[in-house]
Amino acid sequence: MFFILAWRNIWRNKRRTLITVSSVLFAYVLATALLSFAEGFQRQLKETMIRQETGYLQIQDAYYFDEPSLDHTLEYGDNVKQAVAEFDEEIDYVVPRIQGFSLAAKEMSTRPAMVTGILPGQENKIRNLSGNMVRGEMFSEDDDFAVIAKGLADLLKLDIGDTLILIGQGYQAVTATGMFEVGGIIEFQLPEQNNTAVFLPLKEAQWYFAADNRLTNLIIMPADPDQINRLASELQSRLDDEWYTAKTWKELMPDMVGLMQMQNTVYTGIAWIFYIIVGFGIFGTILTMLYERMQEFGILLSIGMKRIQLGIIGLIETILIGLLGTTAGVLTALPIVYIFQQFPIKFTGEMAEYILRFGMEPVFPFVIDKHIFINQAYTVFGITLLIGLYTMRKMYSIQILEAAKN
Amino acid sequence: MQTVIKTESLSKTYTNTAVPVHALKDVNLEFKQGEFTAIVGPSGSGKTTFLNVIGGLDKPTEGKVVIDDVDIATMKESQLFDFRLRHIGFVFQAYNLIPVLTAVENVSFIMLLQKKPKKEMEQRAREMLDQVGLSEKLHVRPSQLSGGQQQRVAVARALASKPDFVLADEPTANLDTESAFNLLDIMARLNKEENITLIFSTHDQRVIDRAKRVITLVDGAVDKDEHFKRN
Repeated sequence: MFFILAWRNIWRNKRRTLITVSSVLFAYVLATALLSFAEGFQRQLKETMIRQETGYLQIQDAYYFDEPSLDHTLEYGDNVKQAVAEFDEEIDYVVPRIQGFSLAAKEMSTRPAMVTGILPGQENKIRNLSGNMVRGEMFSEDDDFAVIAKGLADLLKLDIGDTLILIGQGYQAVTATGMFEVGGIIEFQLPEQNNTAVFLPLKEAQWYFAADNRLTNLIIMPADPDQINRLASELQSRLDDEWYTAKTWKELMPDMVGLMQMQNTVYTGIAWIFYIIVGFGIFGTILTMLYERMQEFGILLSIGMKRIQLGIIGLIETILIGLLGTTAGVLTALPIVYIFQQFPIKFTGEMAEYILRFGMEPVFPFVIDKHIFINQAYTVFGITLLIGLYTMRKMYSIQILEAAKN
Repeated sequence: MQTVIKTESLSKTYTNTAVPVHALKDVNLEFKQGEFTAIVGPSGSGKTTFLNVIGGLDKPTEGKVVIDDVDIATMKESQLFDFRLRHIGFVFQAYNLIPVLTAVENVSFIMLLQKKPKKEMEQRAREMLDQVGLSEKLHVRPSQLSGGQQQRVAVARALASKPDFVLADEPTANLDTESAFNLLDIMARLNKEENITLIFSTHDQRVIDRAKRVITLVDGAVDKDEHFKRN
C-alpha cells in the first residue's frame, strides 16, 4: 500500500512530475554521452600511444627508464626468454626493439635520426608499419637494408637504392657507423617521427650499435590488457631486480596518465554540474510536494501513522522519480550512444589533420561501456537517496498540530 | 457503564504567545462507553484544545488524561502514535481523506497501519462503507465524491479500526443541511448499534440537538455539563 500510495502521489501533479523526470533524463543522457565520448577518446588516445610508443608492458634494463641510453640496454638472454615463456598463455606476442639517436647523412647533408632495430613481423602486429610504406618495401628479418621516414628522406634527398650513412654512439661508448641501402620509405603523420625515423632489421641495428643480442625494450602485448599490473609484477618476480624492470604503459607514460586523469576530472566535473542542476530540480519538486501536503501529513500522523512510515513514503516517492528519470535516461542514452558509436561524427579541416598527425582517427569516438551507464544510474540514485533522506528528516520534524491546521 | 476517558484537573496554557493563554482550566470530566457528547462553546473556548489533549495530539500543562487506566499525558510521542492508532478514531472538519486512494483504500488505510490481515481489512472496509451508505462508491476517489460523501468515508475510516472512542472536530461545519443530517443519522445509528463513544466539538445546533450530553466550555473551563434523553 505504501508503494501504491507513493506511486499515486507522484502523479498528483503529472506535469510537474514529468518535467522533473525529464530533467533527470536529460542530465543522465548528457552526462552519459559526455562520459562515453570521454572514455572513447581516452581509449583511442591510449591505444594509439600504446601502439606507437610503449606497448602495454615493457621489460627494460633497470636504469633505462631514468637514463634512456644504449648503455642501459638489456641482454635478451635465456633468463628473459624463460621468464616470458612462463606466461606464454597470457602473452599475445612480444616485440623486441633497440633504438638510439644517430646522425643520418647523405653526402654533405646530415640530420638527426632515431634509429630503431625491429623485427618487422612482430612490429607489424603492433603498429602495421608496412601499411605506411609509400615507396619500396619493408625489409624482412634477414635483410640488411634500411627503411626511412619520408620527411627524413626528403630532407636528405634520399630515395630507394641510395645509401644512408649513420654515425652515432653505440653500446659502451663504441663509435657506431654504418652504411645502409635505402630499401623503403615510410610516412608518418607525426612530423617529428616523419623527420627522424630510421628502421633497420633488429640484427643489423644490434650490429650497428655494437650491442649484440641486446635490446632497449622488450614490448609485451598481453592477451588481456586488464591484467597488465599483475603480469608486470609476476614477470618482475622472475627477473633479477638489479638488472631488469617490468613497467606498464602507465609507468612509462606518466604524463599521458596525468593528462587522462585531468580529462577525467574535467568531464566528471561537467557531469556533476548536470547532476547538481537536476538535483536541485528534484529537490524543488519534492519540497513543493512536501509543503503542499503538509496538512495531509499532519492528519496522517494524527490518526496514528508513524513518522517512519510517513518518511518511507516520502523516500519512495523521491526514489521513484529518480528511477523513472534514470530508466528513461538509459533507454534514451543507449540508442544515442550506439548510433554515435556506429556512425561517429567526423572531424573535418584543420582539426582532422591535427588529430591525424597523432595517428588517431579524426572522429568523436563514442563507446558503449556498461560501467558508464551503471555509474551514472548510481549517481542519480545517490542524489535522489540524499534528497529522499532529507525528505524523511523533514517529515520527522513535522509538528502534528501545526501541520494539520496548515 | 464503563468509563472510557477521565480527565483530572486538566489545564493547558500556551506560553508561546505574547500573553499566556489559558486554553483549558481545571477540566474534570468523565466519558462513559457509548456516550454521544457534544462539546460546545464560543470560538476560543478551548473545544479543539480539549479534543487535541484527550486525543493525545497535545500535552496538557497540568492534570491527567486517563484512558484505559493509563495517563496518556505521560506517554512518549512514539507510544502516543500507537495509542492513537489503536484506541482513537478521528473525524476532521475538512474530511482529510487521502486524495490518491479510493474510498475503500482510505477506510482500509488505518487497518493497514494496524497490520490487520488483508482479507479482514477489506471485509471491514466494505462493511463500514456499506454502513455509511457508500457501498456503490468503493472504488471512487475523494475528488469524485460530494462533501457529505467524503465525510461519511471519513466516519467509516474512523470507525473501521474499532476504536474505544471517536473524536470529531466540527464534522458538519462544511456540510449542507441534508448531508449534515444524513451524517448525523449515520453516527447516531452507529452510536446506538455499536455502542461507540462519540465526542464532537461543534457550533452546529443540528449536532447539539442530537447529542445525549452537551458540555459547554467557556474560557477553557466547564460551564455546563448537561445530559439529555434522545431517541
